[in-house]
Amino acid sequence: MKSQKINDTFARMYRSSQYRIWLWILGFFTMLAVHIVYKTKKGKDAFAGMKEELRGQREMQDLKEQFFQDALVQVQKKNEYFKKTMSESEAQKQARAIADKNFEQLLNDKTKEQAEMQKVHEITLVSCYAELMQNPAFMAVSFVLSFPMYILMLLFMRPIAKYITERLFLMIFVLFGVTWLVFTILYIAPMDAAMNILGQTATPEQIANFNHIYGLDQPYLTQLFDTFKNLLTFDLGNAYQGNEPVMTAIMAKFPITMQVTFSSMVVALIIAVPAGIVSAIKPYSSFDYIAMFIALLGLSIPNFWLGLMLILEFSINMGWVPATFQPGNWVTLIMPAIVVGTGMSASIARMTRSSMLEVKNSDYVLTARAKGLAEKKVVLKHILGNALIPIVTMIGMSFGNLMGGAAVTEKVFNINGIGSYIVDKQFIPDIPVVLAGVVYISFVVSLMNLIVDILYAFIDPRIKSKMKNY
Amino acid sequence: MAKNAQTKNESLYLKKVNKRKLGGSLEFTTSRLAFQVTGVLALLLVLWQVLLPLVKGEEISTVIGIITAIYGLEFLVQFIIVKKIEKEITGTAGEISNITRKMGILLLPSVVTGNFLVFIAGAMLLKKEKNLEYQLAVYSLLVNIFVILISLFNLFKDTIVYTFWTGIGFYALYAVLNLVVIAAVSKYTFGKKPDKKFLPFAVICLLGIALGNVFSFMLGLIALGKYFNKNEEVSVEWIDVIKRLFRNYTAVIGMFFVVLFISISIGSNLTFDYDIAISNNFAARLAKPSLMYPFGCDDYGRCVFTRIIFGASISLIIGIISTIVPIIIGGLLGAMAGFYGGRKDNVIMRVLDVLHAVPSILLAIAIIAAFGVSTINLILALSVSMIPSYARTVRAQVMGISNQEFVEAAKACGAKNGTIIFKHIIPNSLAPVIVQATMGIGSAVLSTSSLSYLGIGVEAHVPEWGNVLKAGSTFLETNPYIAIFPGIAIIIIVLAFNFFGDGLRDALDPKLK
Repeated sequence: MKSQKINDTFARMYRSSQYRIWLWILGFFTMLAVHIVYKTKKGKDAFAGMKEELRGQREMQDLKEQFFQDALVQVQKKNEYFKKTMSESEAQKQARAIADKNFEQLLNDKTKEQAEMQKVHEITLVSCYAELMQNPAFMAVSFVLSFPMYILMLLFMRPIAKYITERLFLMIFVLFGVTWLVFTILYIAPMDAAMNILGQTATPEQIANFNHIYGLDQPYLTQLFDTFKNLLTFDLGNAYQGNEPVMTAIMAKFPITMQVTFSSMVVALIIAVPAGIVSAIKPYSSFDYIAMFIALLGLSIPNFWLGLMLILEFSINMGWVPATFQPGNWVTLIMPAIVVGTGMSASIARMTRSSMLEVKNSDYVLTARAKGLAEKKVVLKHILGNALIPIVTMIGMSFGNLMGGAAVTEKVFNINGIGSYIVDKQFIPDIPVVLAGVVYISFVVSLMNLIVDILYAFIDPRIKSKMKNY
Repeated sequence: MAKNAQTKNESLYLKKVNKRKLGGSLEFTTSRLAFQVTGVLALLLVLWQVLLPLVKGEEISTVIGIITAIYGLEFLVQFIIVKKIEKEITGTAGEISNITRKMGILLLPSVVTGNFLVFIAGAMLLKKEKNLEYQLAVYSLLVNIFVILISLFNLFKDTIVYTFWTGIGFYALYAVLNLVVIAAVSKYTFGKKPDKKFLPFAVICLLGIALGNVFSFMLGLIALGKYFNKNEEVSVEWIDVIKRLFRNYTAVIGMFFVVLFISISIGSNLTFDYDIAISNNFAARLAKPSLMYPFGCDDYGRCVFTRIIFGASISLIIGIISTIVPIIIGGLLGAMAGFYGGRKDNVIMRVLDVLHAVPSILLAIAIIAAFGVSTINLILALSVSMIPSYARTVRAQVMGISNQEFVEAAKACGAKNGTIIFKHIIPNSLAPVIVQATMGIGSAVLSTSSLSYLGIGVEAHVPEWGNVLKAGSTFLETNPYIAIFPGIAIIIIVLAFNFFGDGLRDALDPKLK
């Protein structure tokens, strides 16, 4: 039973050309053994014999000749129509090729038909594998030698796991692309970090020495390769300025940025979703007009200006909350969360309203009402539930903007997060800091997008069933 | 019981009918918004500028007191007129009486106090039959008056720039011409086709673009387009789009602000003194708002008002260029990906995925970190980060369109791929791109000011709004107005672009055609 499942998975994986490559890479020894067995057995089994026997038959030879004549007429007609002149031998060559192709196809089909009747199986690589797996010794050795292949198989068996793996795999390429892009931009930069740090009075020797210490005198490809390696091993060396290890600084600052981002997301959701729902239920009412005006206003207010105004009103004039952020003090988190959350809640509220309005007049909503469901259930389960996909997409998209725009808010509230770290260091430009900051933030954003895509499956059963057959 | 319910139903029905009648009347919608907004403004003025100082025991400045009183008066007049209109429309006559229409004259002078909503309400009330041309002419006049009014603030300054009166002269002359155009519009354009005598006026209108007056330019284009339209039975499509746009009052107000900012940034070259915006004047350091310096002065004694006016053109130029560039590049890439599909699509979209994975502000920061702080680099940075989103929009559109029959027909006729892309596919996939671009200009203005605030946008001495704000943020405790006013300017222009874009989305919606 279990071995049957393994064989099936193997067959399905072998069918796709991309997975075939991965089977060879991850399970080289097993594949090699299977391949050798397959090569030795091929052409010597009952199936091949049957095919040769059919080919030798008289009527099949006649059929081949007939195919050739048909193809010749076809080629001639075609030339006539397109007013093309072609030599006789050329036309015959073309016709022969067509005829051969057709004949092989027919032969294959016929053999298969006959084989099925006589219960003879064609030998393939997959069937060789199945046969070998019957042998417990081979199975054990194969499990030990090519366990990565079996891990891949395990992932392949579960559709959602397979989907996630494939997306993660693509993400790695995208992140390599991002690294390459940002590195190249910084590499071709006319800005000279050595000059900026050592000052105008630096001698050429000092600059050369600086460049040597940080590996800036290496050729482009070496530097690029080192960057990849450093990012993967989380060892980014020291920053040019201050000489602190970049990774420690980033590790200390990342959680702060994430804290601000997630709390503002919570604020945004608390404001936006109820406002959007009420606006959609009572469209063109006063509440709708006012809420949507405020939403548009929220989209148009610059974050830093709103931050400054809040500081002016609540910190300077009223003295309620401190103007700057202190880690661990949640009161100081309120204003940044509101500022960052405003823009986000505006777009989410607008999206909630429009996507709920779209499904509001569907037939199934009418049905739900007709069968006497409570209004609350109709709205929350049937309307909101079916309008959720665009809303979730919007949330995922705003997350990227949040992480990117964090730099500005962090500057306003003097938050010691990764955004303001990048901005501080970009004047030099401190290449490792800028690079690592951008790449790691892009990584988090991509991961968030992946999570949103997976969430679709849990929200929409149609997508889930599509994924099951994936 | 039953009878009661029936009357209740009837009254509900009547209410709905009345509501629809009122909603369809341009006079009522414009007047209602005018009285609401004027009311809110008057209330805010009373609360903050009159009551708050009274409570604190400070003196109320006479200028503010007069303005508050005038706004209160405008509110009252507008309120009475709204009630009258409502009564007359829902009443037996079903239309507005001539006496009420004459009252519209009372509303027109309010433009001097900057209350354009009341002015529009008055202009719409005065005339019984209004077509698109009339509305455009009114808005064009309004823009002109506003530019003159804003420029006239310079009279309170010690010195005025030597081209000041030339500039004012231009705008005043055009305002007079505009009045003539309004008269001509009511006389000649109410047929299916404008009269031949209107053509010289149309040419005058087209000239308005030199002053940045897009409304009058559109009026001229529409008149010419209608005149040269061969088949009178078929309406011109782009004129229909504008017509639908003008049914949405908030979108028109958004458009009004956009045009006003364009117009003022052209006019400011003549009527405003760039020296006041950039050169230091320590005598006026951190001056409080007054008639001479309406928004106060910053720490170098530069007039914030003048800086904001000059900032408009910088923001608009950066916003427009950094929207057009990604539209061209992203549009071409997206069109190619969507049209050819397969391998080309895959390669282009994977490359763009890389660009898309980096949050746009971060990419801009990285590019500016590499190439240094300058306006050109800022435009480059903003453009690059916007390419993927336009490419995606265009790709989705093109994929939908290239499967349609008319493209297949073009292919069957033997058209080249280039011809098909440029003549059939791009024009038909333009609508969502236009909407996205309109909103994109707004968000580009936002990004520009954010980056300037971080000190990595425009060069520090340039009076860009973010730079002005950055200077103000240092003096938040003592002189908050330096930071408040540029922020409001940013909000107004971004809001205007967003409203305009929203309206365009509705107007370009194919379902409405």
